[in-house]
Amino acid sequence: MSKKLNRRDFIKSTTAVTAGVATISSGITLTTFAAEDSPVTNEKRWGMLIDTNKLTESNIDDMVNVCQEENGWGSETHSTGAQKPDWIKKVKVRDKTTGKIDMLPMMCQHCEQPPCVDVCPTNASMKREDGVVLVDKHLCIGCRYCMMACPYGSRSFVHEDLSNQKEHMPRGKGTVESCTLCVHRVDKGGIPACAEAVSSDGVIFGDLYDANSKINQTLKKIQSTQIRADLNLNTGIRYSGI
Amino acid sequence: MKRLLIVFLALTVTSVFAYGVDKHINLGDRATELKNEGKSRGIHPSLSEIRKMHPEFLLHKRDKTVHQGIRTRRNSLKECVDCHSTTKNDEYVPINAPEQFCSTCHQKVGTSLDCFSCHRTTPKEDL
Amino acid sequence: MNIRYQQIKGRSLGFYALIAGLGIFILATLGSVYFIEHHGHYVTGMSNRFVWGMPHVFALFLIISASGALNVASIASVFQKKLYKPLSRLSGLVSLALLMGGLMVLVLDLGRPDRLIVAMTEYNFKSIFAWNIILYNGFFVVVAVYLWMMFERRLNKFTFKAGLIAFTWRLILTTGTGSIFGFLVARQAYDAVIMAPMFIIMSFAFGLAFFILILMASYKWSERPLGDAIVNRLGNLLGVFVAAVMYFVAVKHLGSMYLAENAGIENFILFGEHIYTPLFWYAQIILGGLIPMALIYHPALRGNRSTLGLASLLVLIGGVVQLYVIIIGGQAYPMEMFPGKEILEGYGDIAAYSPSLAEIVLGIGGVAVALIAVTFLVKFLPFLPESLADEISDPHYKTK
Ligand code: HEC
Ligand code: HEC
Ligand code: HEC
Repeated sequence: MSKKLNRRDFIKSTTAVTAGVATISSGITLTTFAAEDSPVTNEKRWGMLIDTNKLTESNIDDMVNVCQEENGWGSETHSTGAQKPDWIKKVKVRDKTTGKIDMLPMMCQHCEQPPCVDVCPTNASMKREDGVVLVDKHLCIGCRYCMMACPYGSRSFVHEDLSNQKEHMPRGKGTVESCTLCVHRVDKGGIPACAEAVSSDGVIFGDLYDANSKINQTLKKIQSTQIRADLNLNTGIRYSGI
Repeated sequence: MKRLLIVFLALTVTSVFAYGVDKHINLGDRATELKNEGKSRGIHPSLSEIRKMHPEFLLHKRDKTVHQGIRTRRNSLKECVDCHSTTKNDEYVPINAPEQFCSTCHQKVGTSLDCFSCHRTTPKEDL
Repeated sequence: MNIRYQQIKGRSLGFYALIAGLGIFILATLGSVYFIEHHGHYVTGMSNRFVWGMPHVFALFLIISASGALNVASIASVFQKKLYKPLSRLSGLVSLALLMGGLMVLVLDLGRPDRLIVAMTEYNFKSIFAWNIILYNGFFVVVAVYLWMMFERRLNKFTFKAGLIAFTWRLILTTGTGSIFGFLVARQAYDAVIMAPMFIIMSFAFGLAFFILILMASYKWSERPLGDAIVNRLGNLLGVFVAAVMYFVAVKHLGSMYLAENAGIENFILFGEHIYTPLFWYAQIILGGLIPMALIYHPALRGNRSTLGLASLLVLIGGVVQLYVIIIGGQAYPMEMFPGKEILEGYGDIAAYSPSLAEIVLGIGGVAVALIAVTFLVKFLPFLPESLADEISDPHYKTK
């Protein structure tokens, strides 16, 4: 046992050293942002504030469309409407008392206490340190218990074989998927595609913990809600205007 | 423990056949180019190591990316595909197609990968 | 009196016909599994709204039946009822076979059954599902050991302890299965503490119904004597269990109706305009509950084997329907996502599920696998007493 470990460690350290040399000597440049090669930490918590008063219906449609474009879902050929993935959808609600109509984009709410993570038998549903809830599709066996548990109906199951996926977003038959808060962008210092698609302040993305961030400051000023706040899941996606 | 097992398996399988690797293995366009230019030395520290250890490297990298958000290019599956793909009639050939880089050896040792049911089999979008 | 166990001969035409029939069905099942796994779940009626479909109905039905089928053995070894003792081996066998069938369906309906190894190596101990995997695997071991104690004369003295462990294990197992639903906080249909005990009682009824059918069929077809003492006692027990299930169903729905937030789903199931309402009242309550009780308790039909067989069959059909109403009906009704608001677009309609043939075949295939396992094993191992005539099983039993 210890022999093997030593061997591995040896290999690792040689890799590390030669990797350094490789970077300099070879033609490829390993451009690395500081953010890219250090693990995410719980000093941040990514979140999003969606102000429905500032969003038009076409804003929301745009958000859905860019998400499809960015992550490559929605063009499945065999799946029926209810079988197609739905990472983000437009929901229209009417207040039963006042008749007020609101429209909002719905996606994974990135709960602090995610029910999907609690129920997943194989640890495939997971929450990163920075609060992003993901499916580790390498571990997902497709049992769909997380979809039963999600209070927001935000997860989708891939019902058919896929090809020509986006390079940064591997997807495949028989596993569950949902909004990743575009971690592939966020980890490189970007913001989610849907937030970028809205030019107004209708969608603010940022670090909920950072007192200087726009999202933190706005949340301190205005009134906001979480969907199904009664479940005490402490979602990362907040809404105002509904 | 699981990793050790994989390393162990990889070692046992490869140690038998690694020495008999086909000299004309299809490296793919960019890799061949780099090799011909003599620039291949630094990419994989040692050939025998990448032959034996690549499953372990990939799985390690996989966990780092998915769980910790580490997105460096080293050992990234995207990069393997980028560098080791072949073109034919101005189109990329899927890297897991028969006789392509990620399938030749595996065919020989009878391993089949499920990685490419999700991961893109050709570099980037469009050529 | 000593009880002699003996393999069945299994050389009759009927035996081979049974094996062939079940075999063909199992081939069809494998065909539909291949069909679903090859194409993906788009060929099923399942969707992102109907996450779990027909296979889960049958899988859960078989799994809870498995736990209940062990009842007979438990009564014999834990509660020391002599009458049931000769039935213990068969009880253990039926239980294992049903569990196997159920798990098979559950696994083959996964999106990635090829990754089963992941399910066995990666455990999230917060997940009730992961605990169930452990409980199911453990159940196999526990019951196998229990059977071994019963088979080995030297080890007979341990049957009480092994039986006690098996008994406890399966109560936990069914509680675990019921809790799969209990943990779904956001789904009004399932969010009730009573789910777990209700599943236990359901398991008693369905498991016993399976057991009675298998017992009567195997004695009839192998032409061995089976006395009224045992059959009538089992019949009475089934009646009690069916009544208990109905009681729990009533309590669950009444209790749930009392909560304002659950009034919607209760109205939907009990008085709605969809398929679930007639399924609930006609199939589950009348066909699977009231009629079997009448068949069992009606004085004119007492001791009649055909009506007891029919009653058992109806209990099983009612059981499948009950799980259908729970699992499918519970998903058809939308989750309450915006309390106080009505959803106009995007989510929230009552969804319609139409199971595909492949799913149904896969589900029933689980039953076929369980039955073929029992058929083979009673041929190769001495599970069945040579005779269960009254003078052997219960010398004091008075025939009318
Ligand atoms: C069910 C789909 C699926 C399968 C099958 C799958 N992956 Fe992934 N893989 C993903 C997803 C999703 C990511 C996350 C991408 C991201 O966040 O950028 C990922 C990321 C990775 C990464 C890090 C990103 C990169 O490109 O370097 C590696 C390495 C990786 N996978 C290796 C593998 C290997 C090796 C296999 C086969 C043994 C495999 N994967 C099979 C879905 C899959
Ligand atoms: C920048 C280009 C580049 C990238 C990225 C790259 N390789 Fe390579 N690879 C090469 C070259 C060039 C060679 C040939 C080296 C030689 O023969 O000296 C090679 C050789 C190999 C070999 C040995 C083939 C043989 O001859 O037996 C393996 C295995 C391999 N690479 C796997 C991988 C894997 C796995 C990845 C991704 C983690 C990867 N490579 C990424 C360029 C690349
Ligand atoms: C030089 C030959 C060779 C080449 C080229 C090669 N592999 Fe491998 N690969 C192997 C061998 C040998 C194994 C070990 C098989 C085993 O353990 O059963 C293996 C195993 C793997 C495994 C683990 C499979 C498992 O089921 O555990 C992965 C993942 C993998 N290779 C990915 C790749 C990818 C991706 C490429 C293309 C970039 C590639 N390999 C190219 C020889 C090769």
